[in-house]
Amino acid sequence: MNYTRNNAWNNGGSFNNPDLLWYAKAVGVMQSRKLNDPGSWWFFAAIHGEYIGQTGFPGWGSIPGPPAVPTTPLPAQSVQDMFWNQCQHQSWFFAPWHRGYLIALEAFLRQIIIGLNGPANWALPYWNYFGPNGENKIPPAFTVTTLPDGSPNPLYVKLRYGPQNNGNVYIAMPPVNAACMTNTVYTGSNAATPRPGFGGPATGFSHGGSTSGNLENNPHNLVHVQVGGFISNSNYGLMSDPGIAALDPIFYLHHCNIDRMWAAWNARGNSNPAQANWLNGPQAIGQRAFAMPMPGGTTWTYAPKDVNSLTQLNYSYANLQEGLPQQQVNALHQRMIKLDRKDMDIMNEQAGGSGGELIGANKESLRLTGKGTTTSVICESAGWKKVNESFMKSSANAIPDQVYLQIENVKGNLDANILEVKVNEKHVGYVSLFGMRKSSDPTGHHGGAGLTFLLEITDVVDDLHMKNQLNVENLQVSIVPANEIPSDEQITVGRVSLYREAVQ
Amino acid sequence: MKLTNFSERTIHVIVLSITLIAWIVLLYNPGNIMGVEHCHVSMAGPSVNSWEMLLAMNPLESLLLGWFLMVVAMMLPKLIGAIVHICERSFTHKRVLHASVFVLCYCAVWMLTGVVSTFIILGLNLLWPMSYVPAALVGGIALVWQFSPWKQRMLNNGHDHPAIAAFGGKAILDIARFGILHGVWCVGAGWVLMLFPMVLPEGHNVAMLLMTVLMISEHMENPEVPRWRFVARLKLVRIARYQLVFWWKSIYFKSMAK
Repeated sequence: MNYTRNNAWNNGGSFNNPDLLWYAKAVGVMQSRKLNDPGSWWFFAAIHGEYIGQTGFPGWGSIPGPPAVPTTPLPAQSVQDMFWNQCQHQSWFFAPWHRGYLIALEAFLRQIIIGLNGPANWALPYWNYFGPNGENKIPPAFTVTTLPDGSPNPLYVKLRYGPQNNGNVYIAMPPVNAACMTNTVYTGSNAATPRPGFGGPATGFSHGGSTSGNLENNPHNLVHVQVGGFISNSNYGLMSDPGIAALDPIFYLHHCNIDRMWAAWNARGNSNPAQANWLNGPQAIGQRAFAMPMPGGTTWTYAPKDVNSLTQLNYSYANLQEGLPQQQVNALHQRMIKLDRKDMDIMNEQAGGSGGELIGANKESLRLTGKGTTTSVICESAGWKKVNESFMKSSANAIPDQVYLQIENVKGNLDANILEVKVNEKHVGYVSLFGMRKSSDPTGHHGGAGLTFLLEITDVVDDLHMKNQLNVENLQVSIVPANEIPSDEQITVGRVSLYREAVQ
Repeated sequence: MKLTNFSERTIHVIVLSITLIAWIVLLYNPGNIMGVEHCHVSMAGPSVNSWEMLLAMNPLESLLLGWFLMVVAMMLPKLIGAIVHICERSFTHKRVLHASVFVLCYCAVWMLTGVVSTFIILGLNLLWPMSYVPAALVGGIALVWQFSPWKQRMLNNGHDHPAIAAFGGKAILDIARFGILHGVWCVGAGWVLMLFPMVLPEGHNVAMLLMTVLMISEHMENPEVPRWRFVARLKLVRIARYQLVFWWKSIYFKSMAK
C-alpha cells in the first residue's frame, strides 16, 4: 500500500476535507483511551515529552481543557523508560526521529479509521504554512468547537493563542521563513549553508549539543511558539513547550510539513549524512534506540537508515515544491560580487569550514528583561586580525572567513518567546526559546546547559569590510523578545561570543 | 561553536597520550607506590607501633603520588568533553592555559580526597592486613552508592558545562570554579569506586582497569531523574559493542558485494 500525504488546506481546510474529518474522528478515539495504553493520544504525546509528575503549569494536571489531559494511570517504569521523552532536538537525529514518530502515530490512526470504515490508505495531511492564498492560517477544522455531527471537536484545544496572543492562529512571515531550503549541507557549513547545517549538529558519544539545525530553528521552532502563543508564565499555548506540544493535534500537521521540507530538500539532490553514526542511530553511540509502539502490541525499533527516504517507506507528498524557495546555486559567487571581487570565478561553491575559533565575546552574563537587552561584544585583536587578513588575502582559492554570533547557555523556564537578534542595529536572525525549559533542567538530556544559538553574521562583516570599517573594537548586539518577558521570570544568557570559521 | 577537526583531534591525542603514560607508570609500579607494604610488626594487628611502622614503610608522599597517577590514568579521559568545552570558549592563545587551570583544579579536589582516602586505606590495612575484608566492606558501600539517587545527582551535576568568561582574570576564575566543581561532582560520584582497587590485597591493576571503564561509562550516560535505579551504566561497553557489530557487518556486506 502506498500512502500520500495531502495538503490540509484542501477543500478549504475544513471538515469538507475528508483527511481532516477522519483525523478528528481517530484522534477522538485515541483521546478516549487511558494514559497507560500505548495507543492513546496521551501516551503518544508523552513519547515526545511530558510533565506528568510536575505540579503547577505546565504540569499535565494543570492544563485547562479541552482536551482533558489525564495524569493516571501511569504505565510501568520500564515502559516509560523505553518510550517516553524521546524527542530528538538540537541534534542531527531531529528529522529522522520525527519521521518515525509520525509513521507510528499514523499506524494507530489508520487502524482506527479503517475500523470506522474509512479509507485504508489514509495518511496525515500537512499544514503548508508557506502555501498561497492564506494557507499560513491554521486550517479552520482546528478552530471550530464541534464536528459536523455536533459532537465535540477533538482537534480543538483551549491553549492555542497564535503570534499576537489573541487566539488568532497564523504563521507570521517574517520571522518564520523557509530559508533553510537554500542550504546544501546536512551537517556542517558552506557558502549556502550556515552552521550547524540543514539537519543539525552531529550527536557525539557523550551528551551535549544544544544548537538546533537550520530546519529545526526556522521554521520548526518558530512555528511551535507562534502557534502556541503566550498569555502569562502560567498560561501559554501547548505548542510552545516540547513537554506539552504533542497534546495539540496541530502538532502532527506541523511536523508533517517539516518532514515534507526534508523530503523536498532530498528531492533537490541534497544528501543525508553517510556516516555510520547517523545511519545507525543513537544505539551506535550507546544511547537509547528510537522505539515506537505499534498496533498489535509490537514495538518498532528504528534508526535513521530505516527512514532515510520516503520511497523506502511507501510514502509520498502530494507536492514537494509549493511555498518552498529554490536552492541557492551560487551563494559564494554572489558573496564575491558583493565584495566587489567579480574577477574571481574559479570558486568551489561547496567550500566550507571544519570548525571555528573564538574572536570576541561580551564581558558578563546577561539577564533578558522586559523588552530586550543590549550588550557589547569586544573583538579580540589577534583573532579579529585574522578575519581582516582573510579579506586582504582573498583570492579564487582563498575565501574570506565566515563569521558567527553565538548566544550561549540561554536558560529559563518560559519557552513561549521568539528573540530577534541585531548586530550594530542590523537584523541577523530570529531564534525561538522552544525547548529552553527542558534543556535547562539538570536531569534532562542537555544536563542543564540551556540552549545555544548560532547565527551567521558574515553579511554584517562583509558590509563592514566594504565600508572600510573592519578595524572595529566591538559590535553592539541587541536581543529583543517578541513577547515582553514578565519581571518575575529569569531568562539568562551565559555569554555572547563571536567566532570566525576559515573556509577551505 | 565546535572546534576545527584538527584542534579536537589534538586534544584527544594529548589527553590520551598522558593517560597512556600514567597507565604505564602505574603498571610498572616503581617503588610499590600503588600498594601498602607490610612487615611482621604491621601484620601483628592494630597498635601504635604497627601504625608507626606502617607509616614508615609507606610514606604519605609516596602513597599520594600513587593516588595522583591513578587519578590521571583513570579520570583524565573523562575530562576530554570539558576540555573541548573550554577550548571552544577560549581564545586560541589562551586554550592551553585555560585547559591547564581546569585540569589542575580538578586534580586538586581529587588530591584532597586522596589524603583522606590514604588514611582510610592505611587504617583498613592496619585492622585487616592483607585481607579481603576491607574490599568486601568498601565494595558493599559501593554497591549501595552505585544505585542511589545521591550518586545520580552527582553524575547529573557533572554534566554541567557552564558559561565562562573569555577575558582576563574573570576567565581564570570561572574556569577554576568549573574545575573545582567538576572535581567535587566527580569525587561525589566515584569516591568509593576509586577506593575499591586500593583496598584489595592483590589484583588492584585489574580492578583499576574495570573501575576506569565503569567510571568513564557512567559519566557518559545522559542525566536522569535521581531515584533508586538498579541499572548498569555501561555506555562505553555498549558503544564498543555496537561499533564492533556495525563495523563487522559493513565488512561482511562489502565482501558479499564483491
